[in-house]
Amino acid sequence: MDRVAVRRAKVLCNEEVAPGVFLLRAGGEFSARPGQFYMVRAWELDPPLSRPLSVFDLSRDGISFLYAVRGRGTRLLSQLSPGDELALFGPLGNGWERTPGRVALVGGGLGIAPLYFTAKVFGEVDVYLGFRGRPYLVEEFRQVAARLHAASESGEGGEKGLVTELFSPEGYSACYACGPRPMLAALGKACRQAGVPLFVSLEERMACGLGACLGCTVLTKDGPKRVCQDGPVFRAEEVISLA
Amino acid sequence: MVLKNPVIAASGTFSFGAEYARVYDVSCLGGICTKGLTLHPRRGNPPPRLWETPCGLLNSIGLENPGVETFLREELPRMRDLGTVVIANIWGETPEEYGELAERLSGSGVDAIELNLSCPNVPGIGLLGGSAKGTAWAVRVARAACGEPLWVKLPPEGDVLGAARAAEKEGAEAISAANTFRGLAIDIATGRPVFANTFGGLSGPAIKPLALRLVYELSQAVSIPVIGIGGIASWEDALEFIMAGAHAVQVGTANFIDPLCAPRIIRGLEVFLKERGIETWEGIRGCAH
Repeated sequence: MDRVAVRRAKVLCNEEVAPGVFLLRAGGEFSARPGQFYMVRAWELDPPLSRPLSVFDLSRDGISFLYAVRGRGTRLLSQLSPGDELALFGPLGNGWERTPGRVALVGGGLGIAPLYFTAKVFGEVDVYLGFRGRPYLVEEFRQVAARLHAASESGEGGEKGLVTELFSPEGYSACYACGPRPMLAALGKACRQAGVPLFVSLEERMACGLGACLGCTVLTKDGPKRVCQDGPVFRAEEVISLA
Repeated sequence: MVLKNPVIAASGTFSFGAEYARVYDVSCLGGICTKGLTLHPRRGNPPPRLWETPCGLLNSIGLENPGVETFLREELPRMRDLGTVVIANIWGETPEEYGELAERLSGSGVDAIELNLSCPNVPGIGLLGGSAKGTAWAVRVARAACGEPLWVKLPPEGDVLGAARAAEKEGAEAISAANTFRGLAIDIATGRPVFANTFGGLSGPAIKPLALRLVYELSQAVSIPVIGIGGIASWEDALEFIMAGAHAVQVGTANFIDPLCAPRIIRGLEVFLKERGIETWEGIRGCAH
């Protein structure tokens, strides 16, 4: 098992890229595989838990995270300014492995967070992004995708509709997805019918991030599994709620 | 029994130790309490299992564990290699099951057995440790079934002092006080409890003054050691529990706040003793009384 460390880092920038959605970049040399996450905090005791955030991007001198303000923790993160300190615990989770052939990455809402770094590392992948309102970070994604497709439910950019209407698994050897459960369930059905393997990255409330507390388990065909340690990436057909 | 230091990882927050061994050398700990073990594997409660509150954490894990047989076969050999004391935490559906579990663990190599008489998250007999009678019954059955030291982990509610006295009378070696407080969170959008099992167990810094009060009272009610548990997140917190009368402390939710919390507490207590020029806690323990 890999060692995992708690490290301090300084915020380099923390930019609101869409209403309530922030891209935070911290300095330092960090490591991660695509699809892995860090437990992030910038406060002492309250709220008690760190926030599990997927690695949005990683470079030699920094790491970045895309998050939405949902509660007290993410609100505190959103108030950080350059120079403020963060504690980062990770990298955690299994991440996803590139399978051979033509693959597609599909993200909905904040589920786009792990896809940028994944597309960058995998190379030559088609990326499908779904947004509720106006799309964001589309140009950034275009730099790392072979082909980029964006959909917006409100029709404020890209194609109007759901990303699951835009995406068809036909012609792909595998699909990697992160987003709301209904989106993953719809993709699961489409991929099953097309005979295309689907790898999903799941989100759950987490306490330890390491697999010790059993707070984040998801029911699979092999019994409960820990999203933080056995996941966050699972084969869709393993997950009871998606099968 | 003697621990290398008074800081123990609390049951349910540390699994069987292997996860935190990825973060630091867990042999520095005074001991590790295992996840609560049952006779048969348990799947635990459906999600959500966690709910944050101000300075606190409500959980409803529901004793998900691989069962005592898998523990003995797969986890215990690995745990014994971690270089610290292993305390097997057990939960029985009936008082008799504590006897069966203790019998299975007897002579297995665990250093002590902690009877969890206080899990708030499973239906059934409820909080056995909330009464002197229930506690006496479970401890008596377990005492007859094994030779290992027995620690008795009590809930923070009910007749805790009576239960502790009963545990002492039946041959317990120590009282672990306390488990989580039963709490409730309601989803205001649905008007329903957030947990499928309605109540959850509240832990974290929010409960520290409550647990400290209990340890203060318990250390006068019994003459066996009291192990303080509840919201300990710094060496100063741990010291307060020792000053209230605790012989050792367990660190639980704070492992989530800071994965390195337990070794930091150990170091802080060492520095405290060194600066005072003393080597033991005699004279400090219980000084608040």
